[in-house]
Amino acid sequence: MNQMPNAEPARSASHSDAGGRPTLNVESLAAANTSNVKYQKSYTLWRILDFVLAGVFIFAGLSKMFDLDPLFAGLTHLRFGDALVHFRQLSPASPLEFANGIDNFKLVPWPVSVALAFYLPWLEIFCGLGLLFRLLYHGALALLITLMVVFTLAITAAKLRGLDITCGCFGHASQHWSFPSHLATNVAILAALLALSFSNRLRKPL
Amino acid sequence: MKFVLARQAAVVAALALLPAASEAIYFRDKISWRSAIPPSEMVTVEQTRGWGDTAIWVDARPDEEFASDHVPGAISLNEDRWNELLPQFLTVWAPGKKIIVYCSSLSCNASREVARRLRKEAQLSDVFVLEGGWEAWLKKNR
Repeated sequence: MNQMPNAEPARSASHSDAGGRPTLNVESLAAANTSNVKYQKSYTLWRILDFVLAGVFIFAGLSKMFDLDPLFAGLTHLRFGDALVHFRQLSPASPLEFANGIDNFKLVPWPVSVALAFYLPWLEIFCGLGLLFRLLYHGALALLITLMVVFTLAITAAKLRGLDITCGCFGHASQHWSFPSHLATNVAILAALLALSFSNRLRKPL
Repeated sequence: MKFVLARQAAVVAALALLPAASEAIYFRDKISWRSAIPPSEMVTVEQTRGWGDTAIWVDARPDEEFASDHVPGAISLNEDRWNELLPQFLTVWAPGKKIIVYCSSLSCNASREVARRLRKEAQLSDVFVLEGGWEAWLKKNR
């Protein structure tokens, strides 16, 4: 997957003993080890960002398909028993609410809103899984960047047109978010995705 | 690299289609592809025929359109003058009566909004939206 730079100890003709046998270049080896440690640290940080973003998008997808409010209320108040009960009672939510949310943007006709209400949550979940398991990674990342650009443009356009929208981005959790919070969240996620994309271009393609 | 990216994106997009299509089949009776109103809250002109005096017709179109023509006996209740018109409507309403809200055509949203507000704000039940609106009523009755 990812190349480990300078993993092999450097050998060269200039560093040989009298018999012409090659000797280990200690300085190069030390430099290579330092480089490896740095690389591994940076790789771990990017993987953490992968996990965080994957969690965000999987949560975003699931929150549109299930009413996760009681479950999270239980978890945030450390009432794990209640959370477990709510988890067992989770049932699929009607996509009508999300379709209405998309329709409120007045950008696409109703049948397209319905299709998107069915499709977008799954797309977010699959892209999240792609980031998590590094499967079809670059494709998932490209789709997520495209989605975030479209979402950001859509909420900005809605604001400019004076529409009073409730973003269904994170299901009920984001129902009362103000426009600046929407925008700030979207821009932060988009920046993180772009950073990931840039970091991955510097490495070997998957 | 670009080809790999496009191919991977297409695969992810296609994979997401499968569960989405299954979900669409699962919810086929609970969401309408033609209108934002669930099928259970929608009525056709034919269905309303048998309701007779047990139904109240509500015209959600703007005042000028109501003034030019409307369903006989309909009451005007639009969002522009909601606070003014709602009390007038409530004087006519009685428990057990069905409410049929209509606007201009299939594509208008006014009837959906008025029906939603009647349910939420006025706490009324048996509120229905006429499929096809005024245009559909005209076709069947004139």
